[in-house]
Amino acid sequence: MLTRTSETLSDGTRIVDLVRPETREVELRVLSDREIYDLEMERVFGKTWLFLGHSSEIPSPGDFVMRDMGNDSVIVARDRAGEIHVSLNVCPHRGMRVCLADQGNTQVHKCVYHGWAFKPNGDFIGSPVAEEKMHGELTPKSELGLRKARVHIYAGLIFATWNIEGPSFDEFLGEMKWYYDMIFQRTEGGWEVLGPPQRFIVDANWKAAGEQSAADGFHTLTLHRWLDEMFGNGGSELTSTMYGVEVGSDHGHALRCQSLSKKFARAKDFDSGTMSIEERWNILPAPGCTTDMLDQVRSKLTPEQMEQLMTNPPQVGGMFPNVLLACIYAPQPDGRILGSMALHTYIPRGPDKLEFVNWVFAEKGTSEEDKQTMLRNTIFMLGTSGLVEQDDSDTWPHMTASARGAQGRKMTMKYQAINQLPPPANWRGPAIAYDGFTKDDTQWNWWMYWRELMSEPA
Amino acid sequence: MATAANDAIESKPATPERVPIGSPVYNRILEAYYDEAEILDELRYNEWIEWLAKDLRYTVPQRLTRLLADHDKSIDRSVMHYDENYGTMCARARRLRGNSAFAEDPPSRTRRLITNVRVQLTETEGEYRVLNYMLLTRSRFEQTRMHVLSGERRDRIRDLGGRFELVEREVIIDQSVLGMPNLAIFL
Ligand code: FES
Ligand SMILES: [Fe+2]
Repeated sequence: MLTRTSETLSDGTRIVDLVRPETREVELRVLSDREIYDLEMERVFGKTWLFLGHSSEIPSPGDFVMRDMGNDSVIVARDRAGEIHVSLNVCPHRGMRVCLADQGNTQVHKCVYHGWAFKPNGDFIGSPVAEEKMHGELTPKSELGLRKARVHIYAGLIFATWNIEGPSFDEFLGEMKWYYDMIFQRTEGGWEVLGPPQRFIVDANWKAAGEQSAADGFHTLTLHRWLDEMFGNGGSELTSTMYGVEVGSDHGHALRCQSLSKKFARAKDFDSGTMSIEERWNILPAPGCTTDMLDQVRSKLTPEQMEQLMTNPPQVGGMFPNVLLACIYAPQPDGRILGSMALHTYIPRGPDKLEFVNWVFAEKGTSEEDKQTMLRNTIFMLGTSGLVEQDDSDTWPHMTASARGAQGRKMTMKYQAINQLPPPANWRGPAIAYDGFTKDDTQWNWWMYWRELMSEPA
Repeated sequence: MATAANDAIESKPATPERVPIGSPVYNRILEAYYDEAEILDELRYNEWIEWLAKDLRYTVPQRLTRLLADHDKSIDRSVMHYDENYGTMCARARRLRGNSAFAEDPPSRTRRLITNVRVQLTETEGEYRVLNYMLLTRSRFEQTRMHVLSGERRDRIRDLGGRFELVEREVIIDQSVLGMPNLAIFL
């Protein structure tokens, strides 16, 4: 009988062979195989930084939300000093879930089973009937706390990892941070969440959604072609939005920077070199910003980033492994263009199930009225009832079902549309930049990083 | 007016003036609800749009799991699942009738079972509050496991003489995590 080693699956397949660089193919079985899924929980979700929410969800001391890191529930809580902590939501006594509510406020997280109690930072406080020493004396109290994850707050976004000694968050983002900063770190107040995230279950493997987030622009032309049918004039607008620059990294992060001059008539001269930042900003501010924010943005970003924002701003993409980012333009009936800003995570719930979590944001300084408009726009386009994402979430289950077939699982997913152009001329940003029509390169990078993590023993 | 309507949704009045079950008005309203369910189950979106008032407000708040002490906060009206008006509903219906709404092509097979219908008078002549329970079953493709969504619809309808129109609908659903992959269907 074949058995699993750290480099092979129990049928003898080498994990590195699931992703084939020579032909840029990925075996479809990765979307259904239980053994691969279990390994991912250790080697991917146990290793990388994971997005859990935004600090504006828990503004006050004692506030908490219940979230997920891979297939583990965690408590994200703010302590008295205002610091945010992430702790495994598993009672060290007998394994009961300590936190039972999606959100709330407390200074004492008390397990309802036998009453062990914990601080917002996870430290053990004590157990009932102190003189009876119901937690015993074999393990010191200092070791009876909730298991703590390593936390990093980036521009208000809460990330955590179980990889306590591993790479820093900045190393994880790498050169891509230059682009993410243009989205998350461009105003004084930064983003704020507009409410609790939408949540729903999709009967699909998490990677079907994850790899798409690594910037599959191409599917928009077909799966989302209703955009052209309803809003376009004859059906060619979507094709033009496929041009731009895709940036990616060897950590699987990816962003699509679409060319404004190709996308919007009002921006047709934005690349000409004749228009100042102010002129362009007043015609079309960065997606999610309003015109009054220019001074703030200028003081936060470098001139190179400003120029990038006024020519090819990053608009959609993701962060490895399971984050989708949308920071898109939302034209209004009155001619203004506001933004729609959302982050999703795709929580693995088994080899053939994911939970789609959708947070909606606005820049803190946005007027209440504009915030509400942006929120309604986002609900209309993204998430549960969103006209764009309805179609995505109905696609991934079929891929997952295909991957269960005895023959289907032997098929491959192909990423063979390879960018052949030289890097864009005068490109100001770092990381790997792919010019021209959207291709498969950034998604391929995503799989290569998955392969790297999956072939390293946890 | 809008505020009064919103207040009515926030807290059900203790002694609303009820329209008795079986009375002529109640029966007419019940028929309108059965017809609406049929229209939606049969994908007759044009007809459904006709039942919507131009001043429609249509929302599906989120449900959160909160402790009993905070149970009143289990309905969250910030980031909702639907937050619509007449115009956005028309756009949604238009997309569904087009050629590329793949989320519902092929369409789901649905049944909207409407029960526990309670009708109340409102402060506006000819407008009624209609509280009703909805059990929606949805089957897609070869799936044998039905997607099910239960909830209470808190509506306000307007009597136009020969027919009614829907002025306000808030659907209080019972799942904090929806069990279906989207709401490409109307509740
Ligand atoms: S399991 Fe938590 S106190 Fe016993
Ligand atoms: Fe999509």
